[in-house]
Amino acid sequence: MESTVASARSFAAPDAQPLAALREATVILDDRAVLRRIDLELAAGITVLRGPNGSGKTTALRALAGLVPLARGSRDVPPDVLYLGHRPQLLHGLTARENLRFFRDFRGGGGREARIAAALDRWGLHADADRPVERMSAGQRRRAALARLDTEPCTVVLLDEPFAELDVAAAELLLHALREAPPTAAILVATHGHAEIDALAARLFEVGDGKVTPARQRP
Amino acid sequence: MLRRVLLVAGREARADRRQADGLVAAITFMAVLVLLLSLVVGPHVARERGVAPALFWVALLFAAVITAQRSFERELADDALDGVLALPGGRDALYAGKLLAIAGSLAAVALIGGLLQLVFLDLDVALPGHLAIAAALGVAALPPIVVLDVVLTLRLRARAALVPILALPVLLPQLVAGTNAVTAAIAGDEPTAVAWSLLILAFGVIYTVLGLTIVPTAIE
Repeated sequence: MESTVASARSFAAPDAQPLAALREATVILDDRAVLRRIDLELAAGITVLRGPNGSGKTTALRALAGLVPLARGSRDVPPDVLYLGHRPQLLHGLTARENLRFFRDFRGGGGREARIAAALDRWGLHADADRPVERMSAGQRRRAALARLDTEPCTVVLLDEPFAELDVAAAELLLHALREAPPTAAILVATHGHAEIDALAARLFEVGDGKVTPARQRP
Repeated sequence: MLRRVLLVAGREARADRRQADGLVAAITFMAVLVLLLSLVVGPHVARERGVAPALFWVALLFAAVITAQRSFERELADDALDGVLALPGGRDALYAGKLLAIAGSLAAVALIGGLLQLVFLDLDVALPGHLAIAAALGVAALPPIVVLDVVLTLRLRARAALVPILALPVLLPQLVAGTNAVTAAIAGDEPTAVAWSLLILAFGVIYTVLGLTIVPTAIE
């Protein structure tokens, strides 16, 4: 059986070394095969997964992050993966600063408190950095989550609908952060359609019917 | 690994301090039960051998359920749990970190509930050191199974009812051991207090190993 993955793989540039990959991966949730034998390789640069709601974009990201088990196939991902889901993953009861500090310390990147302060400033949260996150607006919480891009530099970054709940200024900040990202990092962005990020992407895939198919690659 | 476990425990303790509703609910529950017992059965019956210790452990078990459920509700609120599970070593550190933090909260509940019982029921404790050790061991041995059950029922709507139903049969021997250890410590029966305390310790070790084995793979 010819899998969509095979075509996705051939879509990658010949010299591009994959930094993370799902191979022949099938994910079954609630007795439904959400992803069927997909083969997704992430090389350095920005890759966009595009598809309508419910098409399996989030599941693909969660599979790469190790948050859903594979019914079959394999997952080859380095340990330093930053996964930002479509909710901000911040613990209520802690401030934005404390949440960022926890994630950074957990990865063993302690010490650089100034980096957290700079990230909070950059994302426009200087005045709200020490408020418990449950008292912040949804957009502010999203900004706080995205500040992790600055405090936890990782080889592989997985962003699920990162533009959701962002105002124009914050969306611009995110695009700027993605443009500035180290060229060695593999960034996968799942979105149901965002022209600006599509323009930045080196590779673009469509997700639907449990399959991933290549849509475009920048030469 | 230890550093990560302590980070999870510290994160939990900090959030508990700001959102103390779970801890306050557990302490209130314990205090109300202690008061009710002496009012319902009368102080003479409540002071009878084994009655106060049994109530103490049953109340502490439900306090553990309340505290653990509150802890994981907070994790689910903004998918904070996903944030930890996606970290390298996050699955392994989460369970042990939660155990430490919840045991700390339970220690506070046990201290307040125990003192209330001693005062309201005017209990004389012959071996206070043994009582403290038995209580400390019981406090450490309750969370492993409770947290395991909360994790196993995490995505079920009926988890509030399921956790005590799943935990009670498993923890019954430990509740018996705890009751007998405390009763013996109050009565001054040192060998019995030590023997039952060792049994609590054994339960605690077994349950912790079980949880450390199951939770990292079971949590979704």
